[in-house]
Amino acid sequence: MEIELGIRKVNRKNVVLLVVLLLLVLLTGCAAAQAENLPYVNLEHRQPLPPIAPAEVKPLRIAVAAILSPQGTAESYSELADYISKKLDRPVELVQRRTYAEVNDLIAQNKVDIAFVCTSAYVVGHDTFGMELLAAPEVNREQVYYSVLIVPADSPATSIADLKGKVFAFTDPMSHSGRAYPTYLLRQELGVSPEQFFSRTFFTYSHDRAIQAVAERVADGAAVDSLVLDYALQRDPSLKDRVRVIHRSPPFGIPPVVAPPQASPRLKARLQQLLLDMSNDPEGRLVLQHLGFDRFTLIEDRVYASARKVIQTVGELK
Amino acid sequence: MSTLTAYLQRYPRLNAWFNRWWDWAGAVGVRTKILGIVLTLTIVLGLGVTWQVRLMMTYTLIAELEERGVSIASDLAARSVDPILLNDTFALYELLTEIQTNHNDVAYAFVVDPQGRVLAHTFEGGFPVELLTINSISGEDFPQQVRYMSNQGIMHDFVMPIFNGRSGFVRVGMNEERIQRVVNTVTGQMLLTTLLVALIGIAAATFLTWLLTRPILQLVETTRQVGQGNLNVRAARWANDEIGTLADAFNQMVDDLKASQQAIAEKEAARTRLLAQLINAQEEERRRIARELHDGVGQALTSIMVGVKLLGQTADGQTFAQKRAELRQVAEETLHSVRLLSRQLRPSVLDDLGLVAALERYAAEFATTYPNLTVDLHCHLPHRLDPPVEITLYRIVQEAMTNAARHSGATTLSVLLSTRDGRVQAIIEDNGRGFDPALARRAGNSVGLHSMTERAELLGGQVNIESGSDGTTVYVEIPQ
Repeated sequence: MEIELGIRKVNRKNVVLLVVLLLLVLLTGCAAAQAENLPYVNLEHRQPLPPIAPAEVKPLRIAVAAILSPQGTAESYSELADYISKKLDRPVELVQRRTYAEVNDLIAQNKVDIAFVCTSAYVVGHDTFGMELLAAPEVNREQVYYSVLIVPADSPATSIADLKGKVFAFTDPMSHSGRAYPTYLLRQELGVSPEQFFSRTFFTYSHDRAIQAVAERVADGAAVDSLVLDYALQRDPSLKDRVRVIHRSPPFGIPPVVAPPQASPRLKARLQQLLLDMSNDPEGRLVLQHLGFDRFTLIEDRVYASARKVIQTVGELK
Repeated sequence: MSTLTAYLQRYPRLNAWFNRWWDWAGAVGVRTKILGIVLTLTIVLGLGVTWQVRLMMTYTLIAELEERGVSIASDLAARSVDPILLNDTFALYELLTEIQTNHNDVAYAFVVDPQGRVLAHTFEGGFPVELLTINSISGEDFPQQVRYMSNQGIMHDFVMPIFNGRSGFVRVGMNEERIQRVVNTVTGQMLLTTLLVALIGIAAATFLTWLLTRPILQLVETTRQVGQGNLNVRAARWANDEIGTLADAFNQMVDDLKASQQAIAEKEAARTRLLAQLINAQEEERRRIARELHDGVGQALTSIMVGVKLLGQTADGQTFAQKRAELRQVAEETLHSVRLLSRQLRPSVLDDLGLVAALERYAAEFATTYPNLTVDLHCHLPHRLDPPVEITLYRIVQEAMTNAARHSGATTLSVLLSTRDGRVQAIIEDNGRGFDPALARRAGNSVGLHSMTERAELLGGQVNIESGSDGTTVYVEIPQ
């Protein structure tokens, strides 16, 4: 009888163990059940990606120098690119690079068909490898622009002399309004180099970011393209309360539209005509309006004489 | 319990289940019951809490993972705009690698252009092409999330447009594995804790059981010993609780048992003595009767026989008449002694005339036997009593009177008989020197005292003896 009882007790313990095990299985089973009905991918099953097939029709490549930030450029110029694509009935690729120098290299190597470059980049490109002018935008009926010196709105500075020992933001090493002119100004007025005069300088690689740097007091001052500043102020009026202009340069030739010297004359003529005709076309006018341009007109190299003088004074821009 | 039973009666199936359960649960020992309760509670609580925590943790951590995935994908989308626009594939690759390095749960990240072609990715040695179809870049509502199973565990794939989709889309894969691992670790810890608590529970329950069952088991052992006749064992009192009270009651019972057994033993001894003395007395009585018959009646009858023989040889008329008168005298004396003998054995007057008459005759004879003792007899009995009561009272009064005359040295003796409340009462009082009744009883030679008590008790009555230096009073009370 006792033995029987003993066996029954053991059986009960087994039953308890079984129940515990069952619960555990249920616990883990639930997690497993969740995994069901999910699509399966084996991430180890890898294969080389097919190379991106070259387009059947070679796209027209438009380079835009980083006067604006990459995103700003893409936003501003995609409409123009679409317009040109439509007019030429050919796909268009918008090409951007971080620096003006990289864009100049693309032009020199004939890797782009048309380019929007900065004044200095043109002057340097023209003088080194014969970059050709196609047209230039006209803004407020003028083909000039200015380099403007900006400081935070509450800064006590009234001239560049007051920025001694401060942090200064350049846009691009090859920028005319963003680097060449303020360097020229310092040399002419105070006879010092930026490295001696400012405690620190840095490059923002675009004008809109230089404005942002001053507005947010990352820099105590910056020199920017007047066209970009006007455009920025137009888009964000609150900037007026945050940045203040303390100096405006004499007029310089506006950043032009250029073509590589090796480009086919036919394409160059076609593109030139297309740009010049934009203002006669309602659709083209809308694109121009969005870019802040009145129209595109022809331009001659002599317009850039004053800029060339500044560049020669400052020395090689790299 | 009765309410429960009544409730269960209404559901026979449930009732059957309950009965089966009770057959099982009721049959096990207290130790098993307590262990069962403790273990069941601990395990049910432990497993319940573990289950709940596991569910909650999984839910919370996955929600957090999804939130983090969206945030990482958004961050990546914002930061990859410039590298894509500037055609800086290496910067893009670095960005993706950095994200993967800095976030543990990011299994992979890659960027596709608006046409869905991969621009940069974090996979080494090729790209799992199936991944491209698992999540769609053509939706409207971003971020889009897809949960899928992979060889590395459950993945959450997030798709986020770059520059509103104009520059492409970023895809981020978050692995659930770490969460599962954390949850499993916590579950393991909690189960371990449950096990530990269960072990502590077993220890506590064992101790508790020992505490509870030890006095009970000892009580059982004590009971067994008492059952075997050992009345000197006592149950130990462990605590001042119900079991302590039980032990007290048990001990009290053993005490009472011992006392009553002692009383029985004493009575038994007395009875044995009484029997021996009774047999002795009977033999004594027979010897006396035999001697009386042989010496008295036998001699007388022999002399009568001799006288009758001589009478036959006597021719002389005068001598004959003298001899005949002598013989008649002898016969008369013999008859008298036979009658006396008969009365001494049992007074026939008790049967014929009742207790009062018998006692009066006995008192008269007593006065002649003990001339120095004045006997004062008062009987107030309205009617004759049952024969057993009469003979019992007669013998008790006879014994008490004989005792007083023989041992007390009393000069007066008063006997009072009356009825009261349906009981007959006899009081026998003397003015002798008195004695210690308890001592006399224990001494064992007082057959008279015992026989008085025994006789009274046989009829449901009792005998009380009060004795002092100024005399002894015997109270006898017998129901009619």
